[in-house]
Parts: sequence; structure tokens; C-alpha cells
Amino acid sequence: MKSDVSLEYKFTNSIENVWNALTDSETLAKWIMENDFKPIVGHKFQFRTEPNEWWNGIVDCEVLVVEEPYRLSYIWASAGETTTVTWTLKEVSEGTVQLNLDQTGFSEETKARVGAIEGATHAWTNMGNQLGKVLSEL
Amino acid sequence: MNEKNQERDVYVAIADPTRRKILRLLAEADEIPLHEITPQFQMGRTAVSKHLAILKEAGLVADRKVGRETRYRLNAAPLEEIKDWVSFYEGFWKERFVKLNSILEEKK
Repeated sequence: MKSDVSLEYKFTNSIENVWNALTDSETLAKWIMENDFKPIVGHKFQFRTEPNEWWNGIVDCEVLVVEEPYRLSYIWASAGETTTVTWTLKEVSEGTVQLNLDQTGFSEETKARVGAIEGATHAWTNMGNQLGKVLSEL
Repeated sequence: MNEKNQERDVYVAIADPTRRKILRLLAEADEIPLHEITPQFQMGRTAVSKHLAILKEAGLVADRKVGRETRYRLNAAPLEEIKDWVSFYEGFWKERFVKLNSILEEKK
């Protein structure tokens, strides 16, 4: 499946350190959100942040793939949209790690920039999910 | 970007809890006069008016005069620009990567 969100980053660090940042619950809390993640296939967990009027601040997840230290994948479901987040790590040279993030499974409905106002509800739901970003940019 | 332009930004407009509450009130009604909006908040009429002005600049609220009162209604169209999930998550993850990078830098 083609990724809807596909990002690539390089870190001058060991692949173990990058893997650790992706799989250690406390570290994840520092850069994604508070969570009860465990690197165990089938483990159901949540990312949680402050709720607001439009979003309960909860992402429901389930670990799909744990291939230390190369691949990690989990279901990422929030506000009625269920996607899959996959992290791929590759040591491109001594001390340089390429990290790819692919997020797939967005529904066509939410991908398309349809119509202007199909009832406020749709816009509100989506807006809620924007707020975390918006607020942290201020 | 100067302050004036920032105020017109739809993201900034919805970042304030009072303005979000105003939008929600307006979303539940067709049109509301100022004197019906004000009692919902623990602030004066002037303060509420200022918030409405920012929402108006962002294009999220339209108003019209009816007799002596001004009535406000929601214009949800500008929310389009922030309703696309894919672009939201791109921004979300890019921001997260910056944090991840600083965590990894510390661990070196």
C-alpha cells in the first residue's frame, strides 16, 4: 500500500539508540505522547495527551511488528480514523541511521478535500486533531 | 509575519479556548446576537467583541447588523485548510522528529 505520510530522517547516532527512542515508553513520552507502549507483538496500548473540546486526546494502538532494531509497526487509531504507523531503521554508514516513517490507511473520505461545509461535525472532529499541533506552535 | 497577519491566521484564531467556545456556540445556532453570546463567558462585552473580531479576521465568523444589534454566524469554510489528515500528520511527525533528534543528541 502506498504510504499517505512518508518521511525520512537521518540521525548521526547508533541504530540501538534510535531503536531505543522508538521503543522505550519513557523516551516515547518525551517526543510523542504519554503511553503504555511495550515492544511486544499484539500488545494494545494508548498514546494519551490533554483532551480538548473536539478530541479526547487518545490514540488507540496495537503492536503489529517488532523486528529489533530494524522495523516497528503499530496500529494508530484516533478520532475514528484507523491507520498503520511503520518505522524502518537502516544503518547507512558507520554511526548514521536512516529512519523512515510511513503512515498508511487513511480513508479516501478524509484524504479528499471535499466540499466546504458538510455539517460542522466533520470539520470539528478533524480540527480537534489539529489543535495539539496548533497549540504547540504558539 | 506581523501581529496583524498572525491574528488572521485560522490556526491562531482557534488556538484560544474562549474563541473555540464561541465557535462551538455559533455552530449550534444559525445566528446569535452579541448580547446572547456575552453571558456565556466570565468576561465583559468588550473582551468577547475582541475575540469575535479575531474570528472575523480569520474568516471564521460573519456578522450583520439587524436593527441595533449585531448578529454573528459561523463560517466553517476556512476550517478546510486544517481538515486534511495527511497534511496534519505530516506536520505532527515532523515536529516530533525535531524532539526525537534533540533526545538522540543528548544520548551521544
